[in-house]
Amino acid sequence: MAHLDLPQGTLDLLILRSLQTGPQHGWAISERVQQVSDDVLRIQQGSLYPALHRLERRGWIKAQWGVSDNNRRAKYYELTRSGRRQLEAETESWRKLTAAVAQVLERV
Amino acid sequence: MLNDLRYRLRALFRRGAVEAEMHEELRFHFEKEVEKLERRGIAPVEARRRARIAFGGSSQVAEDCREARGTSLVENTVQDLRYALRQLRANPGFATVMILTLGLAIGANSAIFSVVEGVLLRPLPYPQANRIMRVFVSTPTYPRFPLNPWDFHDLRDRNRSFTGMAAFTRSDMQLSGGTGRPEMLNGFEITAGFFNVLGLHPEMGHEFDRSNEVPNSAREVILSDHLWRTQFAADPSIVGRKITLNAMPFTVVGVMPAGTEHPGNEYHPVAYGQHVDVWTPFWFEGKPSERGSHYIEVFGRLKDGVTVAQASADLNAIVQEVGREMGQNPGWRALVVPLQQEIVGASRPMLLMLLGAVLMVLLIACANAANLLLARAATRRREMAVRLALGAQRGRLVRQLLTESLLIAVTGGALGLALAAGGVQAIVALLPSDFPRAGDIHVNAWVFLFTLVVATGAGIVFGTVPALQASRTDPRQGLHEGGRTLTSGRHQARLRSALVVTEVTLACALLIGAGLMLRSLLKQMQLNPGFREDHVLTAKLSLPNADYKNGEPVVQFYQQLLGDLRALPGVEAAGAGSDLPWTGWDENRSFDVQGKQPKPGTFFHARYHVATPDYFRALGTPLLAGRFFTVADNHGAPAVILINEAMAKTVWGNENAVGKRITFDDHPKESDWLTVVGVVGNVKDKPSSPEAEPGFWWPQAQAAYHDMAVVVRFNGDPGAMIAALEREVRRLNPGLAVANVRQMDQIVAASVATPRMEFILVGLFGGLAIVLAGIGIYGVVAYAVSQRTAEFGVRMALGAQRWDVLRLVLAQVAGVVLGGTALGLLLAVALGQTLKSLIYGVSPADPVTLASAAGLVVAAALAACVAPARRATGVDPMVALRSE
Repeated sequence: MAHLDLPQGTLDLLILRSLQTGPQHGWAISERVQQVSDDVLRIQQGSLYPALHRLERRGWIKAQWGVSDNNRRAKYYELTRSGRRQLEAETESWRKLTAAVAQVLERV
Repeated sequence: MLNDLRYRLRALFRRGAVEAEMHEELRFHFEKEVEKLERRGIAPVEARRRARIAFGGSSQVAEDCREARGTSLVENTVQDLRYALRQLRANPGFATVMILTLGLAIGANSAIFSVVEGVLLRPLPYPQANRIMRVFVSTPTYPRFPLNPWDFHDLRDRNRSFTGMAAFTRSDMQLSGGTGRPEMLNGFEITAGFFNVLGLHPEMGHEFDRSNEVPNSAREVILSDHLWRTQFAADPSIVGRKITLNAMPFTVVGVMPAGTEHPGNEYHPVAYGQHVDVWTPFWFEGKPSERGSHYIEVFGRLKDGVTVAQASADLNAIVQEVGREMGQNPGWRALVVPLQQEIVGASRPMLLMLLGAVLMVLLIACANAANLLLARAATRRREMAVRLALGAQRGRLVRQLLTESLLIAVTGGALGLALAAGGVQAIVALLPSDFPRAGDIHVNAWVFLFTLVVATGAGIVFGTVPALQASRTDPRQGLHEGGRTLTSGRHQARLRSALVVTEVTLACALLIGAGLMLRSLLKQMQLNPGFREDHVLTAKLSLPNADYKNGEPVVQFYQQLLGDLRALPGVEAAGAGSDLPWTGWDENRSFDVQGKQPKPGTFFHARYHVATPDYFRALGTPLLAGRFFTVADNHGAPAVILINEAMAKTVWGNENAVGKRITFDDHPKESDWLTVVGVVGNVKDKPSSPEAEPGFWWPQAQAAYHDMAVVVRFNGDPGAMIAALEREVRRLNPGLAVANVRQMDQIVAASVATPRMEFILVGLFGGLAIVLAGIGIYGVVAYAVSQRTAEFGVRMALGAQRWDVLRLVLAQVAGVVLGGTALGLLLAVALGQTLKSLIYGVSPADPVTLASAAGLVVAAALAACVAPARRATGVDPMVALRSE
């Protein structure tokens, strides 16, 4: 299975999207993305956690310590209001970008 | 934005908690990964292994997380500082030397800057002080002359350039009638609106107006805050109260706030540490047509938009106009000079010279610091190589090394600031008593800022090159066991030599400067002053007009007093004069000479003084021809004068001046001629004057001056003499203040205060410089010797003598020392041209001084080489060969 390198902006988008459904901890986010993308997109811990901290610093997600399903302490992240706005904006620009690229690939 | 800041602050200040959280989070992720693998059926140990591989370097992840937190700049700096502190503590000797040398250099800079700031940079304590101008009249002979009161009056009324003009003249007053002894107060007579022109206002009462300028108008006085508090116990109802000055009642009309400074009074200045205590009104006495005597100092505040040149032209026009009206053409021009320049102008060259000298010391200290750091870098090569090999970025390394330098520099700066606080006090104590604005010199916020900037700048200057050098270490070679790389070593050695040459150059130049100052001082101190210095007591007396209404009682008083003093045991001679040598007396006037015409366009003029018969005997000024005054030269007897040698030569050349006559009248009667009865020895105005000014003396019995300086030549205990003098004065008139009681050697010492201070300071700087340069030379030689130890061992094994090895060691340093000394000589000669005004009696390129300084530098260099040379010649050839 070929692993694709994710550009940084896309990683943020994926994280925000996976948090749209509700709070999750870091491991769950990476598992989810992996599953949903049929194992194509694998987020490495080395990129995930710096990204999470960066997003937290920007105020798009906020963190809270909670208890996981196996009764262990885990840090749960959830979207903030500005995070939701950011997600919408980034999703929109992603769609526009991919549509434009697809057009170019088709027509040129 | 706020969130960002809050996040970063939390990451910074609750670092421990944040780090712990991060580790816990990562560990949780790891455990979940292991769980996932176990659920797939992999064995726990294998699962952990695979998870760990997949996880990658946890420290790298942690590092990236830290970066993402956005606090890396601060965290790294804190880390750098901690590391730098550890390094310093591990090398206390190195740290001590660095911090001490930098502390001394920076401290000296801060101290001198305090003086420069207080005297030259800080604006005068008046609102918009740059608009206040001093006004003089000038001719080629008298470039800055005071004004005649009526001339000032006309200027004040007719000018269009000033919002206000005012004038003042020194007029000390005796305060009596209090509980204590009568006291002589520093005072000035001032014209209307004096304080208003300066921008000051009384804290109580009001100041004088034009009605006060009318002669014999109400006697009013304005007090200083200091006087009000000390003599009148801060009486809240002081305004309107009468106090006794000069035996007459004066009404207090106002009190000036504390710290009211006088706007520059270069003639009869108020000494540092003293206050102006009283201001009385200036009366415009005499006829407006009599414009002969010039004695008031004038200043004014320029109107907005008027330039100095315009004001000059305006006043000049008025002076010419007045001249035409009076039917005279005195040839005066008006001179307008900014007040600040007038006050501090004379001291500016010296202060700038001191600043330049002390900056040189700082440069030497920085060069030394850089040298030491470069030397240390050689020993830290391994550490740098390891860090680079482990993946540290060059930039990070440079930053860390720079942090070390800055830490050292700032610590040195703190030490320097502490030293400067004490140093400033010492410098102020050395200043001559009439140094302008001495009271304004403090270590203040500006000095603190200056120190910070200088320390930081120094740290960057001496830290950058060694830091860059160290970070360029090739990891491969650094880790190599032998650790000696030829190419980079040579480059470094050349750099260090260049630094040491600079140090030697600057140190040599400073030593030459100190030498010139010393010779200048000695020349001035060795001068035959023309009078005796030791065991000559002086005091000032002022007889109030109210008690001594005309000449008779004045003459009688002084005759009585001097007679009483002469009768005391231990008194060899007692006299009185209008002034004392070297105290700034400057009264002069012109006269006509019987049988001689002055050169066309000039007139005969000389200083004039007054003296009693024994004045010169008491002072020890010799009689060169004729006789001194006697009791026969009294009121009613023919008018006589004594002249000094300078006047005899100037007016009568080689002729015998005794018996010649002068007059002040245009059409003199017989009684208007003054006959020269004797010639006395010369006394200069001050030690650094090129030559004595012509001068003549009137007998006190004929001139009847109220204010005189009493001069007593005595033997025995000065304290007893002072007490006796005060007792005799009190016996004759208990209401008189005995002021300025000093011995002549104190006056003499005070007169050389400036060159003495210059020598002490430049000498200190030179001493510090040569010590620092010595340390630099030592470093270079020690390093060179350590590099060549093996070579020396081989040479000695092959039969070389200790002397041969010694010669090699000295050759190492000869180039640096000789080159530096030569450059230093050139530098000093070049600078000497600009500093000619600061030295006296010796040429800036004086060969004795140059040779001595060069000799001192070479001696210091040799001293610095002793230890390394001993080490070089003490090498055991077997040991050296074995270590190779």
